[in-house]
Amino acid sequence: MTAAVSLITLLIILGSSIAVAAGMGLTGVLLNQFYSSMPMTRILGELTWSTTSNFILTAIPFYIMFGEILLRSGIAERMYSSLMQWLSWLPGGLMHSNIGACALFGSVSGSSVATAATIGVVAMGEIDKHKYNEPLFLGTLAAGGTLGILIPPSINMIIYGVMTDTSVPKLYLAGFLPGFILTVLFSLTVLIACIWKPHWGGNKIETSWEERIRTLPDLLPPLVLLAIVIGSIFYGVATATEAAAVGIVGALAITAWRGRLSLAMLRDVCEATVRTTAMVVAILIGAFFLNVIIQTIGLTQQLSRLITAYQLTPVQVLMAVIALYLILGTFMEELSMMISTIPITTPLMVQAGYDSVWYGILIVLLIQTAMISPPFGINLFVIQGIRGRGKLTDVEKGSAPFVIALLIMIAMICIWPEIVMWAPRMFG
Amino acid sequence: MQRLQAIAAEISRVGAIVGGAMLLIASIVICIDITLRYTISKTLGGADELSGYALAIASAWGLSTAVLTRSHIRIDTVYVRVKSRVRAALDLLSLAVLIFFFSLVTYYAWGVFKQSWTSDSHSLSEIQMPLIVPQGLWVAGLGFFVMVCVLLLARGLTAFLAGDFERLFALIGSKSAVAEAQEEVINVEKAFAQQREQERKP
Repeated sequence: MTAAVSLITLLIILGSSIAVAAGMGLTGVLLNQFYSSMPMTRILGELTWSTTSNFILTAIPFYIMFGEILLRSGIAERMYSSLMQWLSWLPGGLMHSNIGACALFGSVSGSSVATAATIGVVAMGEIDKHKYNEPLFLGTLAAGGTLGILIPPSINMIIYGVMTDTSVPKLYLAGFLPGFILTVLFSLTVLIACIWKPHWGGNKIETSWEERIRTLPDLLPPLVLLAIVIGSIFYGVATATEAAAVGIVGALAITAWRGRLSLAMLRDVCEATVRTTAMVVAILIGAFFLNVIIQTIGLTQQLSRLITAYQLTPVQVLMAVIALYLILGTFMEELSMMISTIPITTPLMVQAGYDSVWYGILIVLLIQTAMISPPFGINLFVIQGIRGRGKLTDVEKGSAPFVIALLIMIAMICIWPEIVMWAPRMFG
Repeated sequence: MQRLQAIAAEISRVGAIVGGAMLLIASIVICIDITLRYTISKTLGGADELSGYALAIASAWGLSTAVLTRSHIRIDTVYVRVKSRVRAALDLLSLAVLIFFFSLVTYYAWGVFKQSWTSDSHSLSEIQMPLIVPQGLWVAGLGFFVMVCVLLLARGLTAFLAGDFERLFALIGSKSAVAEAQEEVINVEKAFAQQREQERKP
């Protein structure tokens, strides 16, 4: 009963467009009034202080700042033209470069929106130049962009790790192989589409080995940053949070080397970082508070009892959770969807016998799917925003094949959990 | 009131830039710390603690920038499907709840600060930071956020009573995801334009 009332209260409050941060807080206050004799609101001060001054969480602004600097460092454009030389011979031409560039940029960026926006702006001019099938080209950018949160670093993995007490380095390790496989799956999707309909693949692009070799150094900055950030985590030189700080300094060095460091640029970086951080932290404060209330009123135990009462098998629980996220993902903003649901779904999944690292990767894949499934998919809007012409349905249509690729990926990690788990077991 | 909001916007902008600068400095200090740790096995001590404070202060002061730029996330599935009068009412309600919850947070945060003040608490580390310094800046940011929200609510209410919904939406309306995405794109395009500008310079 409590469970039903709580969920309905939360749904009504969030559904009436109350700011998610305050809405979760209000739900917490109300549930506390009704179901608990302890005045838990008193902990709000201490909880907010200990949460926001938590060193692990500084990874959030650090990775956001890292991305904001990289955006202004000029590496994206050069990287793209180099990948154009290397990948455009495949049927589908530049669409493979789009996916490759997204994967590479995703390996230094922790955000999908930033990845889609950055590579999107760089690539958009090429549609008309080479006469590509427009929807499919747009789809590669929207879908490729989602790789930003699967390939480490990942802001979503940090939030998941902190909220569910899961090791962030393990999540990072676990993300690599699925990230690689998904990149290949995306490329295969383009390949199949362009073998089926060759005229979708656009004009041939002139490339030469000479150019390939000449532009090779342009691929280095992201690879070096990746090596520094991820390498320092895996060799135990730095924690995931410290590695983000190393990334910032590395990105600053590259920006300075390219002659693009200026006070105005730093000011923009600071302002943008703090605005995004505050928005995320506000939601986290609401969520942590609600989480405490949920625990004190025993809501999770109630839900688990429900599962036992209905004798649900682990597979049924898994299916229910996947279905829940696929449905929520069509209309809910992705970040709030994740933060407002994982305090409830993670304990359920862990109790059903799933590893929390594995579940974290599943959640990320489900969020990626949500980002490109209509009607609400933030990456669809980003790509349509860059394009600035035609209808949103083109982007939706072009992304549909990649939604299928994502569903195949989800099925793969469900059937072979080792895809996710071998790396954290090997190195963790 | 418009002037008041302009002043508030300027203060939060400065707050955001200073907060961001603190985070930037924190990241540099951490790098120095790691380098020292691995070369001469010494640490400066307290780098992680200081970045924690930077996060608390920066996020408290960033809250007001976020509300002034209408960046706090709201779920607008229902919102976009109702008449503008109802939508305006929902905007006011959202702001009211934001004020309610963060007044509670600020009230109890003040308690935390007062406690540190009366007991003269220092952090349990080698730098022994007097906690009232970071907590003072933190609670001030939270308090400022609540005041900005109250100001926005007052302006929103006046617009509502005057029946000027367009003005209300511009002040406190929920930004559609499309507008949100558009802003991200503008941000990227602006950054790229800046780069080209820099490259043209000799």
